[in-house]
Amino acid sequence: MIGVISYLVFFTTVAAILGIAVLGLNLQWGNTGLFNGGVVASFGAGAYGTLILGGAPQESQLGGFELFYPLALLGGMAAAGILAWAVGRLTLRLRHDYLAIATFGVAVAFENVMRNATTITGGAQGIRGFERPFRQMLGDGFTYNLVFLIAVLVILCAVYIFLERLTVSPFGRLLRAIREDETAARSLGKSPDRVRLISFVTGSVIIGLAGGLYGTFYAFVSPQDVLPILTFQIWAMLIVGGAGNAKGALAGAFLIWGAWTFSGWALSRFAPVEAQLYTGSIQFVLIGMVIVGMLLWRPQGLFPERLIVSQPGRSREKTQAEGFT
Amino acid sequence: MRTLLTIAAFAAGVSALGTGAHAQDCTTKIGATLPTSVDWGRPIAEVAQFAVDQVNEAGGAAGCQIEMVLRDTQVDPKVGVDAAKALVDLEGVNVLLGAVSSGVSMPILTSVTVPGGVMQMSCCSSSTAFTKLSEEGKTNGLWFRTFATTAVQSAMAAKVAADKGYKKIAVLYKNDDWGQDMARLIAADFAAAGIEVTSSVAINDAQPSYRAEVTEAIGGQPEALYLALYPNEGTSAVREWLSLGGTQDMILANSLKSDEFRDNVGLQYLGNALGTDTASPRVASADAFKAAYVEKFGSEPNGPGLANSFDAAMLALLAMEAAGKDASGADIAAAVAKVTDPNGTPITADVAGFTAAKETLAGGGTVKYQGATGDVRFDANGDVSAPAVVWKFTDSGTEEVEYLSLGDVDAFIASLKK
Repeated sequence: MIGVISYLVFFTTVAAILGIAVLGLNLQWGNTGLFNGGVVASFGAGAYGTLILGGAPQESQLGGFELFYPLALLGGMAAAGILAWAVGRLTLRLRHDYLAIATFGVAVAFENVMRNATTITGGAQGIRGFERPFRQMLGDGFTYNLVFLIAVLVILCAVYIFLERLTVSPFGRLLRAIREDETAARSLGKSPDRVRLISFVTGSVIIGLAGGLYGTFYAFVSPQDVLPILTFQIWAMLIVGGAGNAKGALAGAFLIWGAWTFSGWALSRFAPVEAQLYTGSIQFVLIGMVIVGMLLWRPQGLFPERLIVSQPGRSREKTQAEGFT
Repeated sequence: MRTLLTIAAFAAGVSALGTGAHAQDCTTKIGATLPTSVDWGRPIAEVAQFAVDQVNEAGGAAGCQIEMVLRDTQVDPKVGVDAAKALVDLEGVNVLLGAVSSGVSMPILTSVTVPGGVMQMSCCSSSTAFTKLSEEGKTNGLWFRTFATTAVQSAMAAKVAADKGYKKIAVLYKNDDWGQDMARLIAADFAAAGIEVTSSVAINDAQPSYRAEVTEAIGGQPEALYLALYPNEGTSAVREWLSLGGTQDMILANSLKSDEFRDNVGLQYLGNALGTDTASPRVASADAFKAAYVEKFGSEPNGPGLANSFDAAMLALLAMEAAGKDASGADIAAAVAKVTDPNGTPITADVAGFTAAKETLAGGGTVKYQGATGDVRFDANGDVSAPAVVWKFTDSGTEEVEYLSLGDVDAFIASLKK
């Protein structure tokens, strides 16, 4: 039984970390309509930034500043923010698929820089042996994972509340106005470029926060952690959960990551012995089918966007709309 | 969603059935996290299962039948770590085989097996980062790998080049942790042997063309080419190299010891290609492995990591046998020394060998495992050194050109370091 709890703690931690990243993407795509195809660049910047600033010194490698952990994490978020600002300045004038292609390119470039800049990032070997913060106090076992999970959940709640407040604020309305009709927003005296940049950077900082937590939890990051598959996974979570709805984003993160890991476990356990070797491939097919099925039968996601969120005098439940515009 | 629910319901039903059946006979589970969704990863898992089957035929280890629970890593660190954690927590394994990529093995080691006190034995992770981590005492002696560190490979390449009298060599390497390690070591070893490296070019996976890289390598007018690549990229790069008029004098790392590579490039172009490997020692057990493999799978074990994977599984199970029933991961890790004792009773890597090992261990003796990669001997960091072999391609597979015993290899490496 303790094994099951220990595993669930582990699973929830990873799912919650991915959930934070999905919330960041939801701000960008769900609320502002920015098609960010380079989620993994922000995620990686956060992870690498945190580990370089907070890690122990290593031979022939930059970093190992051993900063106080929260500072290192903030540093990682700042790294993600700065990268997003630079990328945003260059690419945010692009629309939809063009923006996706440009940001995807940035993410691939990011991975290649991490892979080749051996003296800064450890190259393909990655940054290893990062001391997990507060390990002296908590040991290395179950207690540590439990405390870490609680910390991640607190951060997740904070991000969630922040984004929910943001969505119902006038700024949130402005984001949606720009998403729906940029020209109309401009005619009302708003500055879409500036607002899009703010949204993009904020979302990226949140994704970077997720990356920093991820690197901390695994005590390791390497270029294999920042492959495009991660961008795909986070997008799948948002689409299945429901773009534009923070609750949906979270549900999507837990569901998709749950499906990803549970299908692997179930197949390894219950598939006939001859099929064991092919369970990896079967798993890909199953996950693909879940996503395709979602897109076919419920394209708005499990939790569709609430179109009217800040009208005074009416409860939120009553105004929940089913449609997807 | 419905798919998920169906799976969940199915899973719950089967697990209810399963518990009854398992109660009577005793089964010990070991875990394996290998990239079975990748073409070259599947045979590595197959051969590990093959080793487990043989042990079960010999009556199992530590008094129980062994069940290997295999999980796919998808070469994704998140997925691999989760799989490892599930194996440790949900299946209760004390021994974990895998992973293949160092980028997956490392987070498993730091966040699952070391905190959980589980022995991890990898067939194929070659990164030097593990040695460093172990030197810092952070692996708690739980980490082993049967893949000889890149140092042996690179020293052998230097020996081949020196013997052939090449003076200028270009290097193409796979741009991952293994390849970068190789490139760094080979540059040092070639320099120590008085050979000039004209250029050292990284090859990224899955590019449609490697013309730019190959052009850069050919520009230095090297007399020979050293390849630390995998079959896919290796094939493309070598085709471009030959079409641009590059020399056919090549030295290949063991990753290219594959029929696929030979067939796709064409044997007629590989006449002067010499490979290095750390396998095929002159002991009966290696031949026995080869014969058994051919009988089971219908082809020679020509693929990266096959012999290593077999030895990893065998050694892990021998150590379980030596540690006795209900041993912890740390006990099993400590027992590895008992089954790789240079002064122990030699045993072969098959059913008979395992049976013999059981008797010796039961009598309080130690054994010397002679496996598919030879006499495996771990150092304090869980690394192996190994005898080396120089090979070339033939019609039916590969053929040994020269064999260097463990002593020869160590002597040559020492001579390079002077």
